[in-house]
Amino acid sequence: MNNNVIVIGGGPCGLEASAQLHKMGYNVILIEKDDHLGGHLAKWDRLFPEGIPAKELLDQLTGNINGVKYFLKTEVKSINLLDKEYNVILSNGITILAQAVLMASGFDLFPAQKKEEYGYGIYDHVITNADLENYFKTGKDCRIKQNPQRIGFVHCVGSRDEKAGNRYCSKVCCATAVKQACEVKEAFPDAQVYCFYMDLRMFGRGYEDLYLKAQRDCGVRFIRGRVSEVAEDLNKQLVVKAEDTLSGKPIKVTLDLLVLMSGMTNCSAGTRIAEMLSLKRDEDGFFTCKDTIFSLQESDKSGVFYAGACTGPKTLPDTLHEARAAALAINNYIKNKE
Amino acid sequence: MRERIAGGYDPFVLPFVIGMIFIFIYLFIALIRVFRAMPGSDRKKFFLSLLNPTIMYKNIRDVICDCLLHIKIFKRNALLGYMHASIAFGWFMLIVLGHIEVMLFVPQRNGTLHYPIFYRYFVAEQNATLKGAVFFFLMDFFLLVVLSGIGLAMYKRIRSTALGMRRTTKPCFADRVALWCLWSIFPLRLLAEGFTAGISGGSFLTKPVNMLFANFLGNDMNVLPTWWAYSTALGLFFLALPFSRYMHIPTEVLYIFLRNAGLKIHHPRKGLAEAEIYSCSSCGLCIDACPMNMQKKNLKYSSVYFVRFQRRNNKKKINEIAEKCLMCGKCVALCPVGVDSCGLKQAQRATVTDKLPYNYSFLASAHHQGGGPSMPLAPVSGSATGNEVTANAAAHGAGNATGNAAQSAVGKDKVLYFAGCMTHLTPAIIKSMTTIFDAAKEDYVFADKDGGVCCGRPLMLTGKVTAAKEVIERNREMIQDSGCKTVVLSCPICLKVLKEEYNLKGITLLHHTQYINQLIDQKRIRLNHSEESFVYHDPCELGRGCNIYQEPRNVLSAIGELKKANKEKKESICCGGSLGSLTLNYHDRVKITQESLKALTFDNPDKVITACPLCLKTFSDQSTTPVADIAQAVAGNLK
Amino acid sequence: MATFGYSLTPSSRIDLCKFNQEKWNRLVELESDVLKCMACGSCTASCTAGKFTRTSLRSAILYIQNGQEKQALELVQSCLLCGKCFMVCPRAINTRNLLLSINKIYSVK
Repeated sequence: MNNNVIVIGGGPCGLEASAQLHKMGYNVILIEKDDHLGGHLAKWDRLFPEGIPAKELLDQLTGNINGVKYFLKTEVKSINLLDKEYNVILSNGITILAQAVLMASGFDLFPAQKKEEYGYGIYDHVITNADLENYFKTGKDCRIKQNPQRIGFVHCVGSRDEKAGNRYCSKVCCATAVKQACEVKEAFPDAQVYCFYMDLRMFGRGYEDLYLKAQRDCGVRFIRGRVSEVAEDLNKQLVVKAEDTLSGKPIKVTLDLLVLMSGMTNCSAGTRIAEMLSLKRDEDGFFTCKDTIFSLQESDKSGVFYAGACTGPKTLPDTLHEARAAALAINNYIKNKE
Repeated sequence: MRERIAGGYDPFVLPFVIGMIFIFIYLFIALIRVFRAMPGSDRKKFFLSLLNPTIMYKNIRDVICDCLLHIKIFKRNALLGYMHASIAFGWFMLIVLGHIEVMLFVPQRNGTLHYPIFYRYFVAEQNATLKGAVFFFLMDFFLLVVLSGIGLAMYKRIRSTALGMRRTTKPCFADRVALWCLWSIFPLRLLAEGFTAGISGGSFLTKPVNMLFANFLGNDMNVLPTWWAYSTALGLFFLALPFSRYMHIPTEVLYIFLRNAGLKIHHPRKGLAEAEIYSCSSCGLCIDACPMNMQKKNLKYSSVYFVRFQRRNNKKKINEIAEKCLMCGKCVALCPVGVDSCGLKQAQRATVTDKLPYNYSFLASAHHQGGGPSMPLAPVSGSATGNEVTANAAAHGAGNATGNAAQSAVGKDKVLYFAGCMTHLTPAIIKSMTTIFDAAKEDYVFADKDGGVCCGRPLMLTGKVTAAKEVIERNREMIQDSGCKTVVLSCPICLKVLKEEYNLKGITLLHHTQYINQLIDQKRIRLNHSEESFVYHDPCELGRGCNIYQEPRNVLSAIGELKKANKEKKESICCGGSLGSLTLNYHDRVKITQESLKALTFDNPDKVITACPLCLKTFSDQSTTPVADIAQAVAGNLK
Repeated sequence: MATFGYSLTPSSRIDLCKFNQEKWNRLVELESDVLKCMACGSCTASCTAGKFTRTSLRSAILYIQNGQEKQALELVQSCLLCGKCFMVCPRAINTRNLLLSINKIYSVK
């Protein structure tokens, strides 16, 4: 019997799981649809709460996968169960028989243009959290003016939103927004930063300190109210309308830059594979785990495992834990099979 | 032709005569009730309309086309149309021919109720004389026509889809009685006339029947019983008529007269409304039409059941349906009788909502504050003052400066652009419209740049008519004071109410689809013809509401390939976002949105194009095909 | 009994005991989505009438739950039913029906 394990998705989750499985002696084949490893992490600049460069983590993760076979720009063409083994045909023509499949397909960013009232793709100075990270990384984005005076962050774009089809909280955007608010203040010290939030969910260790820093050191104004519409005036400045629910008054502010905190949605590429395997998915599109506490890494099909954001929004530490837990679960599964 | 029965009477005519007298009295009283319930002005209007030759011509045409020939149903489905027309027109001709026969051949019996109906029983015609043969042939011919219709009707009860109807109404008890009577009247007539054909003569239909039965039945024995049965079926039918769907036969004529007189609904169940309610033939075409019926649980909200509960005065059900309805108007557009069930529902809503408290005193101050539709009047067309004003307003967050400065900027030839509340949630439309205005070098004023006051249509739809009038009056003053001669609107909801309720004399109201179409015609903008294919969604308020179907299609054909939707124009399916419904929840709306999108994308267009901010927003949430407003599509293809 | 004069001034404190459960139940029956509100303020922010006069469906719900029915009604009396709040509500609450239902139930003396 071969000891092939297929890992689908080359983001932090897939990388960590591959490294662990490889250490356990399995022949790991990692499949990534993009032309680079690292997924969203590769596009990010710094990580909350301490602001560690994303590249540091990525280097560490990719450094650990020596010996793992990986294919870039490759997708799964077909996958089916052949007598307790999964027969996987890849888009590059290679066919693999594997003992187990790990879905580490992660998430897609919510397409912010779907919330048309915020004007992403319509107004000149509206960007998303991902655009801002890219700006920090490359220093280039024509939508960001030389010296913006007022900058706003809109939390929960496409999250906690029934009309976007995403009723859930995306978990990481609050901390990301607060982190980015601090960073943007550091980049533009003259700017006044506003965060429009519904509830601030600073649940992790050190997150509350980040919040404190934003208020005390960066003077970020936190306004409890969801932005309902954005208009553009003749100077291409943005007029943002919300309710300050704490004072119970509608407010408006004119901004030079608006950052939309796009949430997480289920990964469309992962969904295609899930359909081939007819894996169970929740109403929101994320995969359904075998149970919600004890067997988070197992799916409803034996031999198919989950890790990371493919089962719902997760922070990076959560994702890496799950990657390791999945490696262990796969090891137990294959050992039992033998 | 000679009389066979002396005295021209037989007891078997009694059931018919009783039924006939009953129905005449009933109709007379009903007529008085309808007129009594009408406001005096409406009565006057009605009687004056009878003197107007144009309206009279329209009345006669409508009665012939709608009541007898059922042209509207023919256009939908030929077989279904034939079914209705054959019964209605055939029966009508049988009655007319009967009377003509009486007048020509037995003039002494003129004026008797039963004689023309049971003519064949009372006369004898031994040989096929010419004058007899022609009429007998005609009578048999129309009897055959009716019988074929009855046959189709029976078939429709078993398989409605064959006649183009997926669902039909569930008949109530009186409906069933009347239905059975109606179905049996004509076969019984055939039998009765068949048995009598040996004595009274007959034609191609009745003669063979006579000969057929002569072989194994003593014909003479059966003559009287079948005539009794025929008369009884007729009598019973008339007795059941007022309580059944067939009440529509006499009422429809009245309704046509009232409708053509231009009367409006004042009360949800009285006067004109009563005529409408009883004009409904329960045909059930509105069941398939209703977008809510994508879900089976919503079948009970169809207009036909609304009308039925109106007849029974079931308050709870009436209100439930009235509040649920999307007011998309599809059932009204497809109704063969033209029952304005949306108008009825709106009047019904008013009984509940019009008395709810409200306070619009702020409208007076809105006028001076510079917030009304024409008041902020930010001059946008690139003038220096415009920039200054807006920058100022932005810095201080006040609308006052904008309003005052704008007043002087409004000129006679300017176009007033009124985006509408909803359009502020779809900035792409506003941005595209400003691009188009600039490209056409239009001198325009953006009325509600900083948001305006609602147009009043949503209040009207809700039944809060008094409140709506207050809003409308205030807005009307503002628009008229602006001095603009053309108003371009982006929201069909606003357009509809401005057209119908604002009474803006000398001001042209254009939806932006019409305006863009004009620009193209006048060669004021030049467009690229792209490779893209579009499908156009007719928004309810623009299509059925304002009858604007062609302009958007012209515009789209100019910039790309226009594909057809599965259901379009008059039959377009509401996007589900409608402001018409009060109680329909989001999840049921999503089902409608998906169904509407399915109908739109059946020919795989590259883009779904609509012309209403509400439709755009509603579709965008659900569609996998890109959705855009027509203004966006045009702005993207400007040369 | 000495009152120290305090009882003459009505307390500005909200008395949760004034909350009328029976009316609330009727409201939930007419528009059950009222329970979904998470007080984000989108409705108030986009309100057409709210630009001119204080209008807030979100606050009205809160006031009702705090037993301040009169104040709640004042917050919705200027509504033009334009439907913008329905379009922006992230919880997809049928705000127009909610508002009419509040008027139906709480405006009755």
